[in-house]
Amino acid sequence: MIDTNIRLCLDCGKCTVVCPVAQRDPDFNPRLIAQKRLGRGSVDCQDETIWDCLSCYMCVERCNYLVRFPEFIHAVRSEALEEGARLQCTHGGALQSYMHLMARDELRQNRLDWLPEDIELTEGCDTVFFVGCAPYFDVVFEELEVETLEGVKSAMRLLNKAKIPFDVMDNERCCGKDLLVQGDREGFLALARLNADEFARRGVKRIITNCPECRYCLAVDYAKAVGDTGIEVLHLTQVLAPLLETGDMELGRAAIRATYQDPCALGRCSRVFDEPRRILGAVEGLGLSEMEENREKALCCGASPWVHCGAVNRRIQKDRLAQASATGATTLITACPKCKIHLTCAQRSEDDISAKIEIKDLASVAAQSLEGR
Amino acid sequence: MSNTEVPIVIYACNWDGLSCVEAAARVGHCYPSSVRLVRISCLSRLNQGLILRAFELGAEGVMLLGCSPGNCQYDRESDLVSREYEKARAVLRLLGMDEERLILSHIPRGDGYGFVRQITAFLDQLRAMRHAVPAGSL
Repeated sequence: MIDTNIRLCLDCGKCTVVCPVAQRDPDFNPRLIAQKRLGRGSVDCQDETIWDCLSCYMCVERCNYLVRFPEFIHAVRSEALEEGARLQCTHGGALQSYMHLMARDELRQNRLDWLPEDIELTEGCDTVFFVGCAPYFDVVFEELEVETLEGVKSAMRLLNKAKIPFDVMDNERCCGKDLLVQGDREGFLALARLNADEFARRGVKRIITNCPECRYCLAVDYAKAVGDTGIEVLHLTQVLAPLLETGDMELGRAAIRATYQDPCALGRCSRVFDEPRRILGAVEGLGLSEMEENREKALCCGASPWVHCGAVNRRIQKDRLAQASATGATTLITACPKCKIHLTCAQRSEDDISAKIEIKDLASVAAQSLEGR
Repeated sequence: MSNTEVPIVIYACNWDGLSCVEAAARVGHCYPSSVRLVRISCLSRLNQGLILRAFELGAEGVMLLGCSPGNCQYDRESDLVSREYEKARAVLRLLGMDEERLILSHIPRGDGYGFVRQITAFLDQLRAMRHAVPAGSL
């Protein structure tokens, strides 16, 4: 908890003013949670509000002392779980269960059946494409028809097009980010160790992901948890954007009016703001208009790590969809499968007014532009 | 739990499903104590999370025991159950765990013998799976 800088908190309350949850729910107050914890030195397990933080890092953006409140909250949640607090898991706890099942040492997954024949893999390559939970998401969220695997396939096709060789791991585990965020440190460590062992066994030197949370987790959280492995971890956009600039790769045409959702893990956490925009800028005919809150100030998609999702989360999602619609765009492009899931979920709710905007994965838009050449 | 005992969870609906279990008990039909029974009001109350949770907690098999088609007391069973059942099976497939570890069973109301016969067959099937896959792969 010390490395979260929480003891530097000045009690100024800027975190609470900019927090998207606190703006919509007066009961949630990051400043007070920090002060209570610092004053009393123990966790109030009855304090339900500790589960409301979205880990969107908006507060860190504003804090003068770079207090990493989200990471402080992860530690507080961890203590609360040890004290016997119960999680309210969304989707019946299906995601937590498959993550825990994935942490079984001897598991031999069957997770690559969907791999299309046209995608070229380089067996034994020291660059690995980390698929993430997309195969599982498409099952669990079947009725939302989010098809997060399409984004993964598109990302792989783009890497093929860019002539970047890569392999995939047939027994890749979930990166564990959601378990870490919800305070299940033990579950996260189990997954992290298994993945890190597999990276070492394969001699992996570079990992490319399509999910920003996987990128941040593998690059930053793994270094803290299992030590620095020296592996370079990049999001797809970080790989493709330089190639487009040097002219080593070109995209095609897609006549759409779009707006871009900065995923928290890619934007505020990883400071990748320009690369996705450069990729979209390279698509001929794609008109990009920015939402009212963008880049460092981008509003989160309102998701929690599959726990405690309620009315406030829904309001954040609806507000974000309204901002997207207000740009006049017909397509909302995001570089994160989870943004896609959460915003689509909000769109499917009965009282939605912004159902017209189509939500697409950045990799899918870029890959489809090549077909339209 | 010994090597021969296979931990399984049965989610039984309060109506036809449970009537079979009760009928078996009334006439003294036996089945292993490794079978854990969870009574629920209707299988439509189940979701993929609860099914996967049983596996997470160590069950080697899960049986969903519900009313015969058309017999649901709440008229809600079939679609919801089969959707969640198929999703849970798909997750098991991805995990590399045999999807046959999850079965959906409809036994006529009050058929205790039918229930014991089916649970015994399921246990045999799960025991065979232990030998078919490398030791400890569950």
